[in-house]
Amino acid sequence: MAPTNTSHRQTHNLLLISKLLSLRDTASPLALVLDSLEQPATPLIKEYIRRAKLSKVHITFVAFETLQPLEGVDAFVAARKKSPLEIVRAVNAAHTNVSTSGPVRRRLILIDAINPLLHARRTDAHFNISSFLSSFLMPQSPTASKVEASLVVTFHQDVPSPPPPSPYTPSPLSMLTYLATTIVRLHSFSHILAQKAARDRSLVPPVFGLEEEQDGVLLGRLDKPVGNDSAQGVVLELEHRRKSGRGVLEWYILPPASHYPRQYAKEIVTLLDDHPLYRPPQEPSFGAGEEEPESTFELRLTDRQRRDREGVVLPYFDAQQGDGPGEGGRILYDMGEEDDFDEEEDEI
Amino acid sequence: MSFRKRNIGLSTGGDRAAPVSAAAQPQQLASAASAPESTPGVRPSPDDGRPTTSTGTPSLDNILAGHGGLPIGKTLLVEENGTTDFAGALLRYYAAEGVVQDHRVHVVGMPEQWGRSLPGLIGPADAVDDKQDKRKGERMKIAWRYERLGEFGAGIAGSRVPTATPGEQAQPTAEGSPDKRPAFCHAFDLTKRLTHPSIANLNYIPLAPSNEPLLTTVHKKLDAAITSSPSSTVHRIVIPSLLNPTIYPPESCQPDSVLPFLHSLRALLNRPGVRATAMITIPLSLFPRASGLVRWMELISDGVIELCPFPHSADALATSGAATSHEEPPQGMLKTHRLPVLHERGGGSDQKVGQDWAFTLSRRRFEIKPFSLPPAEGDKEGQDGAASGAMPKKADLEF
Amino acid sequence: MPTQPPLPPLLAPYVTALPTSSLTVLSTVLGAQGNWLTLRYLYAALNASTASDATFSLSGDNNNNDGKKQKVVLVSFLRGWEFWRSEAKRLGLDLARLTDKRQFAFIDGLSELFSSPRTTPTTETAHPPLPSQPALRGGPIPQRTVLPTRSAPGPIPARGPQPTTPRPVAAVPPPSAPPAPREVGGPVTRLHWSSKGAAALDSLEKDIAAVVAQLKAAATAEDASEVLLLLDQPDLLLAATGPSKDVGATEMSEWVMGLQQYVDATVMTLAADLPLIHNASAAGHQMATPLETEHAAFAIGSAHRAHMVMQLRDLDTGAARDVSGVLRVSKGGAWGQSDNVDTNGGREEREVLYFVQRDGGVSVFGRGE
Repeated sequence: MAPTNTSHRQTHNLLLISKLLSLRDTASPLALVLDSLEQPATPLIKEYIRRAKLSKVHITFVAFETLQPLEGVDAFVAARKKSPLEIVRAVNAAHTNVSTSGPVRRRLILIDAINPLLHARRTDAHFNISSFLSSFLMPQSPTASKVEASLVVTFHQDVPSPPPPSPYTPSPLSMLTYLATTIVRLHSFSHILAQKAARDRSLVPPVFGLEEEQDGVLLGRLDKPVGNDSAQGVVLELEHRRKSGRGVLEWYILPPASHYPRQYAKEIVTLLDDHPLYRPPQEPSFGAGEEEPESTFELRLTDRQRRDREGVVLPYFDAQQGDGPGEGGRILYDMGEEDDFDEEEDEI
Repeated sequence: MSFRKRNIGLSTGGDRAAPVSAAAQPQQLASAASAPESTPGVRPSPDDGRPTTSTGTPSLDNILAGHGGLPIGKTLLVEENGTTDFAGALLRYYAAEGVVQDHRVHVVGMPEQWGRSLPGLIGPADAVDDKQDKRKGERMKIAWRYERLGEFGAGIAGSRVPTATPGEQAQPTAEGSPDKRPAFCHAFDLTKRLTHPSIANLNYIPLAPSNEPLLTTVHKKLDAAITSSPSSTVHRIVIPSLLNPTIYPPESCQPDSVLPFLHSLRALLNRPGVRATAMITIPLSLFPRASGLVRWMELISDGVIELCPFPHSADALATSGAATSHEEPPQGMLKTHRLPVLHERGGGSDQKVGQDWAFTLSRRRFEIKPFSLPPAEGDKEGQDGAASGAMPKKADLEF
Repeated sequence: MPTQPPLPPLLAPYVTALPTSSLTVLSTVLGAQGNWLTLRYLYAALNASTASDATFSLSGDNNNNDGKKQKVVLVSFLRGWEFWRSEAKRLGLDLARLTDKRQFAFIDGLSELFSSPRTTPTTETAHPPLPSQPALRGGPIPQRTVLPTRSAPGPIPARGPQPTTPRPVAAVPPPSAPPAPREVGGPVTRLHWSSKGAAALDSLEKDIAAVVAQLKAAATAEDASEVLLLLDQPDLLLAATGPSKDVGATEMSEWVMGLQQYVDATVMTLAADLPLIHNASAAGHQMATPLETEHAAFAIGSAHRAHMVMQLRDLDTGAARDVSGVLRVSKGGAWGQSDNVDTNGGREEREVLYFVQRDGGVSVFGRGE
């Protein structure tokens, strides 16, 4: 890839992730975060909250499986034992008293896990995930001022879904991925590194946690050896659909929160390809690829030598001239004087 | 080397039981001495003194984590692959042992013919052991140190019941003459029929349909039968071929039917004052171990053993599988997935965990012994070596 | 006497000073049961003096409960009082005495969970002893004399309904506690599965909450009122009821969340056997049964909500004589949710081997040690 191309992609995609994470221009009304036990969404959610705080966005946290409100959240809605309709009402109520008092603020609605709702028995057959999610984004009443809202929904990929009510309905996950304008898949950086290392050696990439399919193993993640904390971080596999319909796919890395101050306003996410551990800088560049190891012998050829070498006609070229079948494989050899020909031994 | 170690553990386990119970549990010894006939077939475990009862199969008693029997209040789930009925034989021994010991035996889902087909009594497990006689006659052949190890099949069970073996007679017994001591485990003959006065006391719990869920009814009947009997009674609950669709209606294999039943059964056995054990068999061909339902049944049970019979075509292997010509070829593998008490407490400290077991069902016994592939056919030297040195147990058994 | 310290040093950071309102999931398999580890949590909470002199130092700013005793509520669905009492005795804990001192409460989810008591069908008043029993049992036969009881006399069958003998607990009520009617039948609350779905779960929650409230009410000034809840295999409830009784993974999770709200920290034991977790995964070649799907959803979902996940499993290389199993400690999905990451020092992920000795002592060691 040409260097100009790379840097263009870099700036372009970094701008994109910055826009998405900071909820600028309501670039993506519905973001779907697909996490797993190997890489939970907590760091990313906290990053969302941090950025929303910086830009003074009103944050509503819909908690299906969290008990304690996260720091920085403006409204905490416990969704335990609530029906979908009640949840929508509670979420809207959380914002109305804010919007009436102060200036209109953009809002961010975080759902910590959608799986319990999809599993719940109390959601009847008429429950529709798409209308449920869109009811957050729609203004609750025609008179209410239009609030720019973004919805970030976390879905645990490794939690098995119940069988669909009808064999013909799409699964909840495919429904969500279809609806979402942005899909973020989370990977653990150390796992990505381990898998890359294996692939570079043409080995089978290792699997972790539940994918190990081992008795009694739920999580495979283990802390990296002490001192190697640079392998921390979350890898985001981002898939974004623009309004134009064009799709963007890019891999990013979000460094751990302890690596930058909370009020840090600059972009901290980088492309995965730019990370020194993923693509070490000493990796041979384009021109250096053909360099040969230094040696006391002169192993290189001059141009003239190379031309001569290419001019040599090798015997098999001759054989391929093809004088018909059976002719191709002959060995052409003229007996010299030094050859001690033995009739009985060598029958050519 | 490993064999010897284990064997020593076995025999000392048996010997140690007497001083342990004498020192640490005086009240228990006193009660046992005062009313020994009130609890026939129950004895304290050599491991920790909890009361145990025999499964009717001495070698099965011996693999139950050093307790020398099935501890009271525990369930044993016997799973069997294929269509053979080795598990049924184990159940019959278990039930017959209960009949002989005057335990109250409850049989779930079987007609009364089942009780009539119980194997006939030969006598106490050790006294009638034909190998015992052989051993007495040919004692000179056995090195002294091997003889002390005791016969494998007897193990703890044997050492607790005094027999005519000189090594054990030397050990002073606390109470009276050895013959007065009731036997803990008996030997039975599968080809004969058990005739015992208390065989009429078998309690059959039919699977009659009612307006209640079937297994709930079964549990209520069991509960009523156990609570209505005197508290000194020892109960045995026999549940052959649980969930087998030829016996049980299809809805009983719903998790919300069978798991509450097993849970209630566990609760019943754990109730203070109730002295009962249960043995359940389940056909693995219909309900494979890889299914979640069976795994939950195993989790609720205290002990889980799996029988994997060899296919019939394995005769070739079997005939060569016997280390010596005297030994009967193994008929299948036995796996212990969970042992009573041991795994509940965390597992691991049992010396025999992880051992491969083979079982042999003959007319007179169901025998479980360590499984090892024999030396290759014709490897005379290897066979001799194995027989004389590396495997004292086999030597002990077979000369 | 255990030759091992009751709390192995390697284990100490994980079982003490659990963060406030945290959930710890303890996953077990058939051959590697977690009761010994549950007991270590019990010990660490009830016997805080040893926990505080451990070598690690936790600068707990909002959860400085190290060195302070906690109260414990143990809810067991697969094991009875007798088991926990005798096993705790090996660690030097007298649960019956601690029950009297209102530091510990046992909730019995085994005895009468599915078999309704014969006399009192309602859940709230189900605790008096069963009056039908003495008559049925045929009078005051000394029932347990032939059973070997290993311990000193005391309230030995503390959950045993033996109305003929006066119970020590009932005879001497602790002065600090209000005379609740619950105490008539002994110190043990028994759970009952009443009818269906959410209502039944709610009534279980109410029963447990009442016990927790009692413990908290009995707290004195020098006594901490922090309560640790130990849930022993609540997944049995899910397996034995299931979707046909309107209980699914979500309902179970919400039930546990509801319980978490009453207490300060929660430890929950779950089965993570291969068939229960992986049959339902997408890679499964066959249709998963509802039991498997719901169990996997509950177990994995709980791991997502957990602060730490302690995973027990068999040794990969097969059983060994000096190793009982493998303990893998991992950070759960909720790790780092609250911002006190610093207080989590000493709790790093690791994998160790453990060995449960015959006397109940446990040694925990790394591979190759």
